[in-house]
Amino acid sequence: MTALSAPPAPAGQAPSAATESATKRRRPVSRLGLIGYAIVVIEIVVFAVASPGFLDPANLATILTQSAVYAIAAFGLSIVVVAGGEDVVRGGIDLSIGAVLGFSGALVAVLLQSELGLPLALLIGLGATALIGLVNGLVVVAGIRPLLVTLAMMSIVTSLTIVITNNVKVPVSDGGLVWLRSGDVAGIPAAVVVLLLVFAVVAFATGRTSWGVKNAAVGQNPTAARVAGVNVNRHIIGSYVLAAVLAGIAGVLMTSRLSAALPGIGDESLIDILLATFLSIAFSRRLVVTITGTLFSAVFVAILTSGFSQLGVPSQWIGITKGVLILLVLAVAAIRERSVRR
Amino acid sequence: MSLDTTAGAKPASSPAAGASGARSGGTGTGGGRGQGTGPGGPLSTLTVRGLGAAVPQALAPAVLAVLLIVFAVLSPSFLTAGNLLGVLNQNALLLLAAVAMTVVVRAGGIDLSIGVAIDLAALTASALLADDYVAWVAIVGALLVGLLVGAVNAFLIVVLRIRPFLATLSVWFIGGGVQQVATDGGSPIYLSRGSVPDEFAWLGAGSVLGVATPIVIAVLVLLIVWAALERSRWGRVLTAAGEQPTATRIAGRMAGTSMATAFVFAAGIAAIAGIILAARSNGFVANSGQLYVLDSIGAVFIGTTLSRTGRPNLFGTLVGVLIFALLTNGMNLVGLSFYWQGLARGVVLILILLLGVLLARDRSRKPLT
Repeated sequence: MTALSAPPAPAGQAPSAATESATKRRRPVSRLGLIGYAIVVIEIVVFAVASPGFLDPANLATILTQSAVYAIAAFGLSIVVVAGGEDVVRGGIDLSIGAVLGFSGALVAVLLQSELGLPLALLIGLGATALIGLVNGLVVVAGIRPLLVTLAMMSIVTSLTIVITNNVKVPVSDGGLVWLRSGDVAGIPAAVVVLLLVFAVVAFATGRTSWGVKNAAVGQNPTAARVAGVNVNRHIIGSYVLAAVLAGIAGVLMTSRLSAALPGIGDESLIDILLATFLSIAFSRRLVVTITGTLFSAVFVAILTSGFSQLGVPSQWIGITKGVLILLVLAVAAIRERSVRR
Repeated sequence: MSLDTTAGAKPASSPAAGASGARSGGTGTGGGRGQGTGPGGPLSTLTVRGLGAAVPQALAPAVLAVLLIVFAVLSPSFLTAGNLLGVLNQNALLLLAAVAMTVVVRAGGIDLSIGVAIDLAALTASALLADDYVAWVAIVGALLVGLLVGAVNAFLIVVLRIRPFLATLSVWFIGGGVQQVATDGGSPIYLSRGSVPDEFAWLGAGSVLGVATPIVIAVLVLLIVWAALERSRWGRVLTAAGEQPTATRIAGRMAGTSMATAFVFAAGIAAIAGIILAARSNGFVANSGQLYVLDSIGAVFIGTTLSRTGRPNLFGTLVGVLIFALLTNGMNLVGLSFYWQGLARGVVLILILLLGVLLARDRSRKPLT
């Protein structure tokens, strides 16, 4: 538009006019990355003003502990979304992630009850989730839509969880899990330490290694990645396995936080994981899913949940708010994407 | 659609993978459900493999036949007219949901919020009847609420251009919250027998010429939708827009509009299911429509394996619904705990889809080599 309305320029100056309009168009993009952070700050200020106990260190520690579960699982979903790309049919999504979270928490709890040591229980639990992820990945690579595969897997894993727990709450009292719940390292709650460790590893792997670059390449353009010599299928399968294992770790954290495994917890957590993953779009300049953004959005969701309940908002309204929030972010991203394409 | 993208993905190893997949899948369908007892096991495995290798389109009907045979052997009361009619009656709602899903998938979308349309329609009908409105007001109100859900979906997907599954997933979450708010935290609405008008109760429990009303309604809707999809201009544009959106737009057809109408139409059908649900259960229980989401999506995509081009079609959807229906009923008759039923449904869905893809890939490869 700018180029057209400008007075007719000599042929030699046309490129500079074009670049000028391009920089003009790009300028708002750089500010876009700040939207998410601004919203978090506003959110904290609002809740701090509205509810006096909100800025209490103990409350903040609780919020971070709560966000750990969803953040770790959402890291996995982010990897799947990045490696799967934006394609409508093939696009990466893992709806079984909530169910896997519940399953691993339940499996570890059941194994602990049968007098197995914590290390062995963790090994079996996470190994089982890796297997689930492997099946997801293999079937997706065979050519079935990720949405269908993981929806079916959600049904399977939910069913398995009911079978192993007999549909009742499984309490745990293992020392290691108790430490995860109430212990700390240099004043930082143990769950937050786990979160930071996992975040460091995942952020390093996706941002600083060739595996991470290839993963993003596979999502952006699988054909080009294949031509460039990347094993596309291996990366896609790997993304589902990683997602399942991370969900498994999150499930163990969840079990330790509640001191028990609840059979229905997986389905409930799906919305928070999805929200944390897709809200991360608001923390990125290019409006894509990122790991750092996922961490911040998980904290955002935890603040929202805890702030609302401190204000006495009924829990059903929190669910509606979360759904509307996902839609808002997706709508902004979709509109933005359209204007870029033009 | 998805076949093309992955057929080229691993050119070297796929025939081997296809063969091994078909083998393990074949034994899985026979052994998993037959438990290897009696002559049903090996015989059914042969049927699946023989027919399936010949034509991938025969896969789903073959599975249906296998289910009929296996459960007929395992449970003597399975193959009785009473039981089979009962199965149809129980699954009339699933059929309606799956027909709605077929329309959406045909248009190139997916609707995870189908359960919300069912639930909110059932909620509206129950709430209106509980307030002593007459039957037709409740029915019209429920239909309008259902259509509203579809309109919200259409707005999100066509106007805001959010990807269908993300948009409808959000609507699913929001719809769950709305139900909780409307029922004060999920407390069910019960209608006492006296307060339900006879004509409304007839929708759930009555019969036409000896056939239960839900079956009659579901079959009528199926026929109407079939005519709309296969014999009308709307259906042709919708199908074209679903398979080739860009080409359809260039050809001057309104791809966006047909997508929007598909979502509204589907939500309307789901609302009919919701009304029958309310009539049958004499009230409303929160989130009872969610049960139909996975099964209806599964039925539609099982149905696509019946089409040579992978197009969602109503006959295939019917076969898919019958597979899920017989599976559930058979498992109940055999005495399998509901704990295992989600597992069995998910496994059967994945296996059928996987076999369909692998068989189709082997076939499409043969002329080339």
